[in-house]
Amino acid sequence: MKTLHYIGFIVFCGLAFLSCKQKEQVPLPTKGELDLTNVIYIGDGQMGGYMNDGLNKVSQGNSLAYILATQMELIGANPTNFPFLNTASIGISTNGLAPMHLGYKTDCKGISSLSPLRDALIGDQSCLSQNIYQAAHPFDVFGIPGLKSNQFTNANLSATNGFFHRMSSSTTASMMNELMSRNASFFQLYIGLEDVLDYAKSGGTHENLPSELEFQQNYEQLLFNLTLNGAKGVIATIPDVSQMPYFTTIPWNGLSLDDVNAATLNSIYNPLGYYFQTGANPFMIVDSTANMFAVRQIQSNELLLLSLPLDSVKCNQMGVLFPIRDEFVLDIEELNLLRSKISLYNTIIRNLAQQYHLALVNTDQFITNLSDGFVYNGVNMSAKFVSGGAYSLDGIYLNPRGNALFANEFIKAINLTYHSTIPQVNALKYDGIRFP
Amino acid sequence: MNALTQILYVAFLLSCPLSIFGQGFQVNFQGQKQQGMGCAGTALYTDASTLFYNPGAAAFANKSEINLATTPIFAHVHYTDSATQLSYNTENPVGTPFSAYGLYRFKKRLEPLSVGLAVYTPFGSTVQWEPNWIGRFALTRLSLKAIFIQPTFSYRISERLGIGGGFVLSSGSVNLQKDIPVQDSLGNYGHAELAGKAIGFGYNLGVLFHFDSRFSVGLTYRSKVSMAVSDGQASFTVPNSLAPNFPNGSFSAALPLPSVLTLGFSYDVSEKWKLVLDINHVNWKTYDTLAFDYAQNTSSLSDTKSARNYKSIFAFRGGASYTPNKHLVFRAGGGFGFTPVQAGFVTPETPDANRCYGTIGFSYCCNTHFSVDASFYATKLTRTDRNLETQLNGTFRTVALAPGISLNYKW
Repeated sequence: MKTLHYIGFIVFCGLAFLSCKQKEQVPLPTKGELDLTNVIYIGDGQMGGYMNDGLNKVSQGNSLAYILATQMELIGANPTNFPFLNTASIGISTNGLAPMHLGYKTDCKGISSLSPLRDALIGDQSCLSQNIYQAAHPFDVFGIPGLKSNQFTNANLSATNGFFHRMSSSTTASMMNELMSRNASFFQLYIGLEDVLDYAKSGGTHENLPSELEFQQNYEQLLFNLTLNGAKGVIATIPDVSQMPYFTTIPWNGLSLDDVNAATLNSIYNPLGYYFQTGANPFMIVDSTANMFAVRQIQSNELLLLSLPLDSVKCNQMGVLFPIRDEFVLDIEELNLLRSKISLYNTIIRNLAQQYHLALVNTDQFITNLSDGFVYNGVNMSAKFVSGGAYSLDGIYLNPRGNALFANEFIKAINLTYHSTIPQVNALKYDGIRFP
Repeated sequence: MNALTQILYVAFLLSCPLSIFGQGFQVNFQGQKQQGMGCAGTALYTDASTLFYNPGAAAFANKSEINLATTPIFAHVHYTDSATQLSYNTENPVGTPFSAYGLYRFKKRLEPLSVGLAVYTPFGSTVQWEPNWIGRFALTRLSLKAIFIQPTFSYRISERLGIGGGFVLSSGSVNLQKDIPVQDSLGNYGHAELAGKAIGFGYNLGVLFHFDSRFSVGLTYRSKVSMAVSDGQASFTVPNSLAPNFPNGSFSAALPLPSVLTLGFSYDVSEKWKLVLDINHVNWKTYDTLAFDYAQNTSSLSDTKSARNYKSIFAFRGGASYTPNKHLVFRAGGGFGFTPVQAGFVTPETPDANRCYGTIGFSYCCNTHFSVDASFYATKLTRTDRNLETQLNGTFRTVALAPGISLNYKW
């Protein structure tokens, strides 16, 4: 009988162990020194959800602002009011085109391969003409595709930017008016990318990079106004856009020649001092300073843009007998100018962050890290077009997963400066590129 | 407070950080009596399971014996990602290691000789993570199964000294699954499954020396067994447009089970009390790299070599038994083992850590032929790490419990 008691006791202890479940042991998200009364999000298309060269409701729901807002709500921020497009709308690009997806495209040689395709022939113009502002429910997110740092005080912005027009309180209100009326207690700002993109995407033909003085004054005026009420915020540096797939996908030496073609080109170009061999060769580009024919071989440290018409390259001798026009090339002088300007702007942004005691996101470092490639929870992330997993199909704006990784940089910066414990997001819960 | 209560008390104290798999992915459940005493018993003849613990000690069997045992493993791992503060759990099926031993003791002129056959499962765990967990691209499921078959000879050189050895043939299977970070048009992720059968060979040697009627020393060496998968099948589920990048086909890989050198002691304190201590040196250093060699490589599918960099470790196991009468034996014990997994190399398949564990057990002899043993093992371990290869950064909390039972028949 005693034996049975012993056995019973042991069995009981065993069952007691088996029944115990492990408890959650995670720290609670806390807001630290943040005032969450009124959190707003300011920026260009990257903040607002522009991706795959377009904006629609799905992309807005995967925007930098949306992902940040989701996490801010975990520490007690109020629900965020987004200027969502209509669910049914396919959306629109800054050029009036439809956003893109990955599909099969047949080239001039009849070869079908994966390529970004427009979702429709044209974008949904109607979604920009309709104004959705409601005084009772002002928006918290001002992610205006195309917005530059010198446009905040522009009272005519509504007339020139449909994305602003659709959410502005009046046709004469400037961005600054809208932002000041929100009386934000905390702002998250990412501006400046569009200041340099125009120059970069035009192959240096749009010579409109702002002067340092102009950039400094515009940025400082914005911060001065935003912090007048004592608000805190986070700001972000500008990446070296030449590290983005739009500028790195087409190889400088993508001209593949057989013996016969190499010999033909040598007979044409040898007198100018350019030589070709069987296999990979540099493309020919326009350069007015090169020689009397204004043509030379591209150098390995110069970039071809994704806007390059590939069918012309493949079938119509572009880059061979017809040199590639300046608008598709960032030559080394243009790149040096672009990079030095970005570096100067970033010095200004870093100084302002210190001066105004704001958190700072090193976007330039983040984009360089992507360019170098890194592993995130078992997944290789890189700046490779399509396969890299972080950029959308336009090669410039991040896709949902890229936005999530970028949002984590914001969260780290905010936590560091304001002693909050906002959890980062699991970026792998957000889409990369969908394949057919 | 009688002796039993004291033993139980000690057992629960030992179960400090109480919780399963042996160190690494080994399963150390090969005998109920030893399990009851902290998995120690190298310097002891217990029953036919001694064929595993020390083939030399098996020479001291008084009778022929058959021993059948199973130890269901209830293991649960809870992972907290440090960046997102999100938690995920394993949904492991119950592990079912078993063992079967037959020991035949010769009579008359061949009397010092015993022969035996041991069948046991030193691998045998399945780790299954919950769907969509944050480490899904590192691992979603790993199932290792192996049966070791060990024919053994034991010879009693004198009343004090016994030696023995066995040849080990192992046959097993491995199934490793993970998600692939490519999405189809609906957003579903790809999936990879690597499955294959493995065989391996090894040996198990042992010697037991009785210093006197109370004190014994045992020394054993179980060799490394390399489980080699030569013709595994890799299957990939990916979007149609990427199928050429992920060709289904064969692969090869190998997983080593390390050699173990054990020095064991046993000491009879009195008629009723016995103490045992085992010191293991496990040569985990052999698990340097986990490599998968695919028959067909593409730009997306290259052979992988994942550094594991395990280090060799010591483990200490000890326990006591108390025999109040001829029908009953109570046991308790515990152990401590250093982890072979170094910082930067903790993976979701073996979230290992330094561990303490505690065990208790008892035996009941119904009659001279038949007896029953039971044991209970518990451990709990915590490991925080950032894996250098996958960058998974978080804390694994493992709890493992294993109640076991065996039936013995001797004649």
